[in-house]
Amino acid sequence: MHLFIDTHLNDVVVILYKNGKIIKKEIIKDEEEHSRVLMPLINKILDKDKLESIIVVNGPGSFTGVRLGVTVAKTLAYTLEKPIRMIDSLKCMALSTDEEDKIMGFSDKNGYYIGIFDDEFNLVGDYSYLTNSEYEEFSDKYHVITDIKLDYEKIIDYVLSLDEVNPHKVNPIYVKKIAVEK
Amino acid sequence: MKDINILSIETSCDETSIAIVKNGIEVVALTILSQMDTHANYGGVVPEIASRMHTENITMVLEETLNKAHMKVSDCDAIAVTYAPGLLGSLLVGVEFAKVLSYVYDLPLIKVNHLIGHIYANKIGDKMKYPALALIISGGHTELIKMTDDYEFTKLGETQDDAIGEAFDKVARVIGLKYPGGPNIEKLAKEGSNNYKLPKMANDDTYNFSYSGLKSSVINLVNKEKQKGNEINKADLACSFQTAAVEELTRKLEKALLETDIKNVIIAGGVSANKYLREEIRKLCEKYDAELQLPEFIYCTDNAAMIGAAAYPLYLNGDFTGLDLNASSTADIC
Repeated sequence: MHLFIDTHLNDVVVILYKNGKIIKKEIIKDEEEHSRVLMPLINKILDKDKLESIIVVNGPGSFTGVRLGVTVAKTLAYTLEKPIRMIDSLKCMALSTDEEDKIMGFSDKNGYYIGIFDDEFNLVGDYSYLTNSEYEEFSDKYHVITDIKLDYEKIIDYVLSLDEVNPHKVNPIYVKKIAVEK
Repeated sequence: MKDINILSIETSCDETSIAIVKNGIEVVALTILSQMDTHANYGGVVPEIASRMHTENITMVLEETLNKAHMKVSDCDAIAVTYAPGLLGSLLVGVEFAKVLSYVYDLPLIKVNHLIGHIYANKIGDKMKYPALALIISGGHTELIKMTDDYEFTKLGETQDDAIGEAFDKVARVIGLKYPGGPNIEKLAKEGSNNYKLPKMANDDTYNFSYSGLKSSVINLVNKEKQKGNEINKADLACSFQTAAVEELTRKLEKALLETDIKNVIIAGGVSANKYLREEIRKLCEKYDAELQLPEFIYCTDNAAMIGAAAYPLYLNGDFTGLDLNASSTADIC
């Protein structure tokens, strides 16, 4: 079975996927301390001897949230010697929409992460992080898809077609600038 | 008895470190990846960057450690990790990593207090003796602790304001020295003399310390001279400050040596790498016929070997923790 981990925002999402189907989906909502729940959850639902590969959402999103998911995923992959693949949070959203113009966005406390995708789900340009007032202006001009139910089966199916990554090289995508970078 | 190998992890600040420690006293392998050069660009440790670098490097640091030891994780008997105190984001990477190892290899997980780790750096080579007076001196702590046995701690005193390492760093910044401030003050102090009169710290009946008064007097002195248009002699000021800062420690340690009749002294924490401080405490110990226990230089600054040493008594005691372990930025020794 394949293990999918997403901790890029407030929810902790752990999914088991086998033969084209989701066999277990656990979502812990609005968890403030991802660290307290992620490994107990994996321990509860995953039979590590049956693990085939690992998928991790490596951002953008909450720095600490993404980092925990990525640290767990790359360490699992390295120690269990299983393939690991990454997927971007905004691409998960793009894969879940039927709309033609895939301008995807989601918010945290201070602003919005934005990513634009083509028909092949390739990112056009770079991700950006807009402050709330910048976002207001942007969303006046463009239709941003923010509220969307993720199609996990489609997402996992897509990621499994991607190349696997060396676990040492699995790292978060950081979009929002920190104080010393500004 | 079978040898016990503990794989230990330390990521509380800006060093990614993993070690394998045998029976709590022998370092089988140790890797320390310091981020100091990166943080030096910003004039100090940037917590978010420290966390990022831990995640980037931690599996490679494990690989290097296993290669050095010619061992596998499954050859070890337990996983130990620093869970507090330190930078929360940095600690979390090590804690999460340790939990995965514990899960994958079905090994018990041991949580270790970073400061106790610094004390147990003295266990490496089996040199630690009880009862002992332990002086914990770092960027976040200045504490005098009585230790009667493994994990038997009584706090005698602590700083009432700044930690000694914090005072070193702030004074370094005021006189224009680069990060890391503490070692740079020590270097500069060697070229100077104790010529500046800095106020003596209040002498009270406790074992408590205070550093904010000393720090403020240095800042005031620098500002006053600046206003007058006078150059300060940086080397002399570094030397005067370091002398006064160390005197605050030796004064209280001397009081404890006199009053407790304990004959073993341990110094631990990042500031214990200061050679002038080591020398002054060595002299004091000689005067009272006490034995000074110092970790080897490499075990003075943050490292995972000391965490493995501190985890061993907990292992023997069956003091294990679960996968719901969380990190914490603060924690007391006792």
